[in-house]
Amino acid sequence: MNNTTRANNPFDKFLDLTCLTPFGLLTILILAVLPFVPPFNHEYLIRWLISAALMACLAIAFDFTAGLINIVNFGYCAIMGLGAYTSAIMVSRLGCNIWLSMLIGGLLAAMAGVVIGVITLRLRGIFAACLAWFFGLALMGTTIKLVWLTRGPMGLEAKRLMDTQSNVPYYYVILLMMVAIYAICRWVTRTKMGVAFKAIGQNMEAARTSGINPVLYRLANFVLSCTIAGVVGGFYAHYYGILTPDMMKTAKTVEVLAVAYIGGRGSLWGGAAIAFPLTFAMELLRSSLSNLPGINLVIYGILLVTVMIYYPGGFAEFFDSHIRKTKGKVMGYILNGASGGNNTI
Amino acid sequence: MSQELKNGLWAKITRNMSLANISIIATILVAVLATLDRGGYMLVNTLVEGGMIALMSMGLALTLGVLNIPMFAHGEFFMIGTLVGYYVFTPLSSYMTSHPESYLVFWGPIITILAAAVAGAIAGVIVELFIFRQLRKRSRENWVMNSFLLTVGLSVVLINGHQLFFGADFKGIVGYYHGSPLTILGVYISRDRCFASIVAVLVVALFWYFITHTRIGRAIRSVSQDETGALMVGIPINAILMLTMALSCALAAVAGAGLLFMYPSYPTVGLMPLYMAWFVVILAGLGNVMGAVMCSFMVALLRVLTITYIGSGWDLVFPSILIILILIFKPSGIFGTEVRGVLDK
Repeated sequence: MNNTTRANNPFDKFLDLTCLTPFGLLTILILAVLPFVPPFNHEYLIRWLISAALMACLAIAFDFTAGLINIVNFGYCAIMGLGAYTSAIMVSRLGCNIWLSMLIGGLLAAMAGVVIGVITLRLRGIFAACLAWFFGLALMGTTIKLVWLTRGPMGLEAKRLMDTQSNVPYYYVILLMMVAIYAICRWVTRTKMGVAFKAIGQNMEAARTSGINPVLYRLANFVLSCTIAGVVGGFYAHYYGILTPDMMKTAKTVEVLAVAYIGGRGSLWGGAAIAFPLTFAMELLRSSLSNLPGINLVIYGILLVTVMIYYPGGFAEFFDSHIRKTKGKVMGYILNGASGGNNTI
Repeated sequence: MSQELKNGLWAKITRNMSLANISIIATILVAVLATLDRGGYMLVNTLVEGGMIALMSMGLALTLGVLNIPMFAHGEFFMIGTLVGYYVFTPLSSYMTSHPESYLVFWGPIITILAAAVAGAIAGVIVELFIFRQLRKRSRENWVMNSFLLTVGLSVVLINGHQLFFGADFKGIVGYYHGSPLTILGVYISRDRCFASIVAVLVVALFWYFITHTRIGRAIRSVSQDETGALMVGIPINAILMLTMALSCALAAVAGAGLLFMYPSYPTVGLMPLYMAWFVVILAGLGNVMGAVMCSFMVALLRVLTITYIGSGWDLVFPSILIILILIFKPSGIFGTEVRGVLDK
């Protein structure tokens, strides 16, 4: 934030640049070596890790809109699906480079973000959420019906990103994407723009009175958040190799929303931090209680409701108020970094 | 003289030409034209579907207007209605086949509908007591958005709870009333459809009487207009809120049980009615209960037209686009919203 003291040594400078605290860096390093540590080096556990990291990426970018400017983009997974389908079609029809087509998917998703941003400009809160929701529904319906292009419910095959059978390279790609997305979102939040976002989110009238132009900032927010969704969708397409319109369902957006909110709204890192344990817990529940289908999602929903009622700040608030306020100097440095660690991990 | 008369008439017409009247007249015109083009089935389908959507959307408009909760889980109360309908009617119908002369042949379906209504009301009370009252006690800041997210969690719990306890298979019935279809003006209408539309009309009329002509109905409307004022004149707010919740959930459950012959019960059966109810509520203006009844028939007609002329599957796309247009150009809806609170909170 604004009152950061300039870091002197190169390590602190690097941390400042990536918006991480030493603890955050440690967590990412642990995540990076995790595929080689015994219980996690099975292929299916790496698949869980990948889906958790995917969820983390989406939760960060979702929280960028929902937590900062306080508009729930309820068509989020439809935007992600737009990016995924675009990328897959670019590769299969036009023979485009995969990485390039992922970016093009992001670009198209950004355009959808502009559309949602423009049409929700005059609306607030629940109206904007509804509009984004119906936009997503229309997008999903179109995807189902454009069979000549998307093969509809039969599913579209997408080329895999790499030729390996192993999941480890994919894991590193998505982990890198996660860190990059977090850093980008955090950079934006640290500038003047981030302050403007928060002002708009808290009280739009007051923000407008203080000379903030909400049009520009809301559009910028939607564009960034949707671009990220599109690129992550491209990864989804080229990792799983098959796309169905099911991935654009509202239920998927609800999953992202639950992760972001249990993690702590407005914190950006909370969703990413909670995505890993939550995904593992859900997958464990599902695989160990396979005779009780749906129990994992019931628990998921109950968790969301409980957190929303009794602890609206989520995991991030818990971490900030109980763990971060440590007395020890070394622990304080590790948890907060040189810059006082405002809101960063 | 005739010129003067003409002018006077024209002035009278233009004075009464609000957007609401125009749209009602246009709807009737289009319905008549479509009926002339494709036969009476169009009209029958519109009426049956519109009646049931009206039940759903009235409840939704009521929760929105009185409790200020944008209910995302409303389709799940529809689902509860279908479930109760199935488990009540199946034993009744097996009894009826063995005793064809019993009075149950006529009263069985009506008992089913009543049972569904009671179950829906109980579910509504439980939800209000254990979820919304808890949140209301803790924080009323940003209430609309928070309660919306709570209902999202509730919807996840209920959908997957259904799957957990009752399985994901289709639980349907053959029909409520057996026997040859009725013939009206050369159009064959199955007895079940007649029954469903009669139920819808009766319930809507009863409900309208209740909300406009009884003391409790007036209390409900006063709470929706000004909660503090209602509290000051001695209306028990908590009791009214609970009653409203129970009523709106009961309406959704009645719709579910009434349409059981068309929509067999399965976990996500409530999604389509939920979408339709939301379309209607936004089209009519948030919280406008009586406007919702009119708009239900418009949305039903639009859906029937889309399915007939363009093909099934597009019935999600075109209503969505219409709603997006409405939201852009007239966010307060065709009939205007009576509830200012929803816009500001």
